[in-house]
Amino acid sequence: MNFSWIDNALPWWQWGLLGIVPSIIFLLYFLKLRRAPVEVPSTYLWTKALEDLHVNSLWQRLRNNLLMYLQLLLALLLMLSCLRPGCKGTELSGERFIFLIDQSASMSAVDTPEGISRLEVAKNECVKLIDQMKSGNSGMIIAFSDISRTVQSYTANQTALKSKIRSIKQTQRSSDMMEALTAASGLANPGRTSDRNINRDVQVAEGKPARMFILSDGAINEVPDFSLGNLTPDYRPVGAPEPPNNVGIVAMSISDPLENDSQLQCYARLFNSDDEDHKVSVTLKVDGSVVDSQTETVPRNNALGLVFDLSNLLDSLDSPKTVELEIETPDVYSQDNKAWAVVNPPREANVLILSDNNEYLDFVTETKRIGKLANIFNELPEYLDDPKYEEQTTLGFFDLVIFDRCTPKKMPLCNTVFWGSQPPSEEWKIGKLTEPTALIDTNNSHPLMTAVLIGNNVNVLKSGVVEGPRGSVSLLDGADGSIMRVGQRSGFRDLVIGFPLVEITEDFDTSVNTDWMTKLSFPLFIQNVVVELGNGKNFAAAIGGSPGEILNFRTSLPFESVSVTDPNGRKTTLSPRPDNSFTLTGTQKSGVYRVKAPDLENPDLLLPVNLFDRNESNLTVKEKLLLGYDEVTGEAKREVTRKQYWTLFLLAALVVLLVEWVIFNRRVLI
Amino acid sequence: MVFTASLVDNEPLLSPALLAQLERMELVSRKIFRGRMKGEKRSKRKGQSVEFADFRNYVPGDDLRFIDWNLYARLDKLLLKLFLEEEDLHFYSLIDVSDSMQFGSPTKLRYAKQLAASLGYIGLCRSDRVKIEALDGAATSNAPVFRGKRSLGRMCDYVQNQMPSSANVTLLEAVKSFCLRNHGKGILVLISDLMDKSGYEQALKFLVAQNMDVYVIHVLSQEEIDPEILGDLKLVDCEDGDIAEISVSQRLIDKYRATLASFIEQSRDFCSKRGIVYTMTSTERTVDRLVSRYLRHQGLVR
Repeated sequence: MNFSWIDNALPWWQWGLLGIVPSIIFLLYFLKLRRAPVEVPSTYLWTKALEDLHVNSLWQRLRNNLLMYLQLLLALLLMLSCLRPGCKGTELSGERFIFLIDQSASMSAVDTPEGISRLEVAKNECVKLIDQMKSGNSGMIIAFSDISRTVQSYTANQTALKSKIRSIKQTQRSSDMMEALTAASGLANPGRTSDRNINRDVQVAEGKPARMFILSDGAINEVPDFSLGNLTPDYRPVGAPEPPNNVGIVAMSISDPLENDSQLQCYARLFNSDDEDHKVSVTLKVDGSVVDSQTETVPRNNALGLVFDLSNLLDSLDSPKTVELEIETPDVYSQDNKAWAVVNPPREANVLILSDNNEYLDFVTETKRIGKLANIFNELPEYLDDPKYEEQTTLGFFDLVIFDRCTPKKMPLCNTVFWGSQPPSEEWKIGKLTEPTALIDTNNSHPLMTAVLIGNNVNVLKSGVVEGPRGSVSLLDGADGSIMRVGQRSGFRDLVIGFPLVEITEDFDTSVNTDWMTKLSFPLFIQNVVVELGNGKNFAAAIGGSPGEILNFRTSLPFESVSVTDPNGRKTTLSPRPDNSFTLTGTQKSGVYRVKAPDLENPDLLLPVNLFDRNESNLTVKEKLLLGYDEVTGEAKREVTRKQYWTLFLLAALVVLLVEWVIFNRRVLI
Repeated sequence: MVFTASLVDNEPLLSPALLAQLERMELVSRKIFRGRMKGEKRSKRKGQSVEFADFRNYVPGDDLRFIDWNLYARLDKLLLKLFLEEEDLHFYSLIDVSDSMQFGSPTKLRYAKQLAASLGYIGLCRSDRVKIEALDGAATSNAPVFRGKRSLGRMCDYVQNQMPSSANVTLLEAVKSFCLRNHGKGILVLISDLMDKSGYEQALKFLVAQNMDVYVIHVLSQEEIDPEILGDLKLVDCEDGDIAEISVSQRLIDKYRATLASFIEQSRDFCSKRGIVYTMTSTERTVDRLVSRYLRHQGLVR
């Protein structure tokens, strides 16, 4: 709150006139014009009485001139109220207020002049805003990071609002305002419904305009698809105006020795959001012991890549190991000064291929590369009726089963690939095979299609359109629709390909349906399938996430229960789901979560949780927020109104007048 | 306090009812007095009256008419019969005519004149020698001596015509001047407000020295006893122009009342120690009431 006490209400000549008033009062009292002469028989007795009263002359003088002092005080108070004292503050106009408080990781930075975290500043600011609410105004509080939580729904109870604000806690999550904005606009912009008969849309409820305060440092992704509607945004930037000193780790990964000349390396990326270069010392620890340390200068507003060699770990890699990278140079934001990765011991995937007479598939899985990644079991489709198959797929022995033109009775408890056959599930459907097939598009951003180029050089004869469950992703589109989809099935993934590689003719001859097998992209695709769906030998943990994310993981063997130790040392016991997978929630803190079977000494699995978010590590406070099509500017939006205090002075003047009246009457009316 | 020129100033000083009441009274002196003329008072001095007092031996030169021949026949001694002398009483009334007496409703001066006339009439009725003087500090007084009821009219006119003195004389000076001119015994009534900045004590001492029966009647107006003034005032002394600036407050009024009470008390003390009979009266109290009750009680009249 910016204080400015004086707001002159009078021109100079009126001040001149007003300035004369105290002098006149003073003169009138000391010239004693006011004393009416009264003739008395003798002043003899009066003088004697006065002599006694004059003993305490200072007090008497004060008493005698008390009315003058009161009148001077009155004049002074009136003059002060003419100066219109007040403080510049925000006075909230409107009836409904929504307070969006950013509780994402970057709000933990301690760069404010007050020496407290940005979140605390935002909370204090919010309390001040609530203080400015008029009685009867209602407010709602929403705390947001990448998720949003309505801390307090609309209420006019300011005490409740304030206590709820104090209960907002810091999180280590990233920021995403979309959910919070949706929650905020719930009442302001009610939904619309359309009536087909009259062919126009109708608003279902009346929109209630609200003023929305966003207390954030602005480290928020842009919200492109949002319409403010009845919401009036008011962005209050929190944090130091100058970019504060912060160097953070924004990425960290472990390289795969299979792809990297048998070298196990740790890659990290440091980001400096300050306007100055910063020299930082970085330490790498494996299972708590320091293995490497580097001192690097990170250029201003730029990132720096770091590489640490961990190849010597490969010899003794019998259990998962934690790799911790730490920036030891302190800065205002400590959240991004540590990052964790995990090196897992090599494990070969078990892949079952159920295929009949498909030499191309046999051929491609016999490569040296695939052999390093997985143990391949080739069986005929008749193996489906074997009790051994039932046992192996129920106990989770196989990581991946590839059904080539065959269909099991029920879905196995592992990842699957259905190649030219329909899964035994109503959710999956393959349309009738038609020809020819024109390949339109490839989804190369999906890990399964990484480096897989299917362009004009691949031809497919017959194909059927694949329809998958909700959330399934198309990997390859034909002219009529998707012909390759991947979808989730409670912890497993199913890949369904709508065209077979080969077909068995009525003459029991094999005819090819595509020439993909002859292209380079085919073995790459098979490798991706084995690595991604077979959970193939992967040194860098595939499972992990950011704080708050729900992690689904599977242990190496099916356990009846596992205990998970979080970075704070708190243990949680998890039970497996029917498919032998586990779901870990409550990953609020970044660090390594250790999954351990009850009877094993070493952890079975380590799950690193990191907030690698360049947005959060960039502590420069944004002056603008882009909410849909509206740009909300921070400083300029701070509309300053004046809180007037002159009324208090006027009130005091009236009180003085009253006191004077009482004193005058006490003196006069005996 | 307001200067009040009383409307009753022109009315006769003594009303018939008051005169009737006064006729029955008599001035009393506590001391042996010596008049010059035969009056109606039995003097302690032996003289010629019908009332027997004593015998004494005859010495040559005595009036042979007063020899008790019967005793001579029986005792063969010449004894002379002595009779109580009947004398007139000297009554003096001193009226303070200073400016301060002009205040009050009726004015203190009017009240003083009325009182002096009343007492004077009592004296006239008893053939006393009545002299009423204004204390104006004049070296020679032309105050006439009244005697006999027939002098009532003259006396009233004279008293009525006494005006406030223009020369600002102190009580002391005026009393001193009176004492130099008047000797002998008698009753002396001083009617004054005693508001003299130089003090009334010295003046009273002079009167005590006169060996007279001194009565002080202290007249105060109601406005002095209970002042009804408001606000911030400049009080101007009507006699010497002295100024006292006051802001009237309850505290000041209380203080004034206490000062007045102490002033009256001091006067009473001072008088009683010197054998002066002191009576304080307010102008609110009527003259007939003052005379018939208070002064009778004090022994001035009976």
